[in-house]
Amino acid sequence: MTQAEQRLDENRSAALAEIERLQQALNREHAMHLRALADFDNYRKRVQRERESAAQAGKRPLVLALLDVMDDFERALAYANTAPASILTGARVIHQRLMDLLLAQGVVPYASAGQPFDPALHEAVDVINTNQATPGVVLNELSHGYRWGDEVLRPARVRVAQ
Amino acid sequence: MAKAVGIDLGTTNSVVAVMEGGNPTVIINNEGNRLTPSVVGFTKTGERLVGQLARRQAVLNADSTIYSAKRFIGRRYNEVQDEIKNVPFKVGPGPNNAVRFDIQGKQHAPEEIAAMVLRKLVEDAAKYLGEKVTDAVITVPAYFNDAQRTATRDAGKIAGLNVLRIINEPTAAALAYGLDKKTSETVLVFDLGGGTFDVSILEVGEGVFEVKATAGDTHLGGDDFDKRVVDWLAEEFRREQGIDLRQDRQALQRLTEAAEKAKIELSSVVETTISLPFITADAAGPKHLEMRLTRAKFEQLTADLVERCVGPVQQALADAKLTARDLDEVVLVGGSTRIPAVQALVRRLTGGKEPNQSVNPDEVVAVGAAIQAGVLAGEVQDVVLLDVTPLSLGVETLGGVMTKLIERNTTIPVRRSETFSTAEDNQSAVDIHVLQGERELARDNRTLGHFRLEGIAPAPRGLPQIDVAFDIDANGILTVTARDKTTGKEQSITISGSTQLSKEEIDRMVSDAQRHAAEDRQQREAVEARNQADTVAYQVERQLYELGDRTPMHERARAENMIQEIRQLVKDQSTDMARLRQLSSDLQQLAAGLAASGYTQETAGSASGAGRDGRQRGGAADEVIDAEFKPRS
Repeated sequence: MTQAEQRLDENRSAALAEIERLQQALNREHAMHLRALADFDNYRKRVQRERESAAQAGKRPLVLALLDVMDDFERALAYANTAPASILTGARVIHQRLMDLLLAQGVVPYASAGQPFDPALHEAVDVINTNQATPGVVLNELSHGYRWGDEVLRPARVRVAQ
Repeated sequence: MAKAVGIDLGTTNSVVAVMEGGNPTVIINNEGNRLTPSVVGFTKTGERLVGQLARRQAVLNADSTIYSAKRFIGRRYNEVQDEIKNVPFKVGPGPNNAVRFDIQGKQHAPEEIAAMVLRKLVEDAAKYLGEKVTDAVITVPAYFNDAQRTATRDAGKIAGLNVLRIINEPTAAALAYGLDKKTSETVLVFDLGGGTFDVSILEVGEGVFEVKATAGDTHLGGDDFDKRVVDWLAEEFRREQGIDLRQDRQALQRLTEAAEKAKIELSSVVETTISLPFITADAAGPKHLEMRLTRAKFEQLTADLVERCVGPVQQALADAKLTARDLDEVVLVGGSTRIPAVQALVRRLTGGKEPNQSVNPDEVVAVGAAIQAGVLAGEVQDVVLLDVTPLSLGVETLGGVMTKLIERNTTIPVRRSETFSTAEDNQSAVDIHVLQGERELARDNRTLGHFRLEGIAPAPRGLPQIDVAFDIDANGILTVTARDKTTGKEQSITISGSTQLSKEEIDRMVSDAQRHAAEDRQQREAVEARNQADTVAYQVERQLYELGDRTPMHERARAENMIQEIRQLVKDQSTDMARLRQLSSDLQQLAAGLAASGYTQETAGSASGAGRDGRQRGGAADEVIDAEFKPRS
């Protein structure tokens, strides 16, 4: 074996050892990578589960508040035969309670009649030909629009003049 | 890098989805919805509205509100005469006999309108993602010809998009179910949307889809089902009250919404009530509508609509020279495929095959398009598909219950560990019984292996801490290791093949567990009640021993009586949970009384109280002990 050959041989075994070392390092890193991915996936599943139960829990106070309104209605209906006139007064009170409940949730109605039609706030259900109002103005509301914080929760259903 | 999105540009509604962290996500638009109406409105003030806002002003502005542009895109003027009759806006011929919408004296090509819808979708997507969106995959019906595809691609360009690819809607739906991974399959895609019905038969091989046949009905969809319910409600109301609600726009709108809601409800319940108080009024006062609609009645009202789906399915099969038996997979697309009668029909026509429907049918096309976009943009290329454990894994603990360490459907590789303890004083070994399954009791689950950890140093029960770790590597090989924290002694077992169960076997085990859920839970609760009572008995016994004669006679006698009763109940495997719980709590109270009156100081060993679920807090260290191993028998 010449000196050159010997050197080559030494280099070769060093290189093989290096390959072996890198191979092992790569395997280790790969395994860690897979575990991190799986951890993330399991984390995502957990967050999803927690989100679902949080959504359910979030509805609870509102549903409970609705039950109070339900009770009021049942009390009112109990007078359907004996004192029907009193139900009207009762209905007004219940309506106010329901409105208070909505306001407490940040749900606020807005007025639309007389305003120019705006598709961000209004949904046109009908058009009325009239010379009583400027074309494109909301004549009346069929149902109110509501805001919830900054967003329009539900547009008002309106009749528009033409 | 900018995100690539998938867009289902629909006739009535459009959906946009994107790959996020390897999973497709449907993007919520500015109005907070997952579906965006494919509608564009041009207001008198020169404003342009797209989506929900355009739809809200359609009544005001019928001749300048364009919908169903997809019915016109890429077609010649003379081809669309029938479609023109169905729309309130003006459609005329353009250069080379092209279709043009005539809006406020200006001509717009269908691709321009489509571009406005695409622009809105992409802008909302960019807002949602917080980054620019430039690349997209857009879907078209399989029957679209070259001109229609080119026009759709042009719409993308007009919207400023780099259209990575135009793909077929049924192909996208199949992609959403990963059917491209199959080697050679025949897939039938049944797409019943809001206003159109399409059947496609695809052949998939080596990740390539080939459309073998298409058929359909361009004017059949969910809206027709709604209309049947509206007409029924209106007719019934007219018979009773003499008023036709369809003449009143407001009443008609309320009816239509209620009809759609009822239709949706009847997919999950067999009867629903439609109530529309104060729907109208006459001289006699206000009128209310309240009607019950059963699923049977709904099916009767819409039987002919469902029947209209038969022809196209048979046609597509005949054109592809196939029979129902040749189909490997069936995919449902479109919200109307949620209707039970429609699903029953699909099963009947496809030889009873169970259709793929786990992905929301309104979104499945966009989801598939997003997956394709992810692949083309190189995002999905490196996605490693990770397996999940098909069944839960755990060990047997005191009372023969299975304590789960890894829940089913956990993504692997994964490692989970819990700390256990002994159930007897001076217990020198624990048996680790490795289990797989969903049942509460060990004996109802599959045994994967057994091993023993010996040489535990003598100690009162509950004191030794034994860490049990379950590790499943990427190849599904499970290694269970038990280690005594005090001595450092360790023993382990390696089990391969825990993830390689047949689908049938997994389904059977899962459904078994569901079927036995109630009785299993009761049994488990009984075991836990016994374990807890036994723990309390043990602790009080020790307390009495340490106190010696300092315990008043009658207290000692009462305690001993209760301890004896508990021991008997445990021995008899009693399921009298009320009695066990009563005894545990009485005995605990008595012990607390003894401690409080200064007879004793709490010692480590008598730290009281088995926690919730019968899981117990260890004595000396503040480590949580999750459960106990029964002593060697």
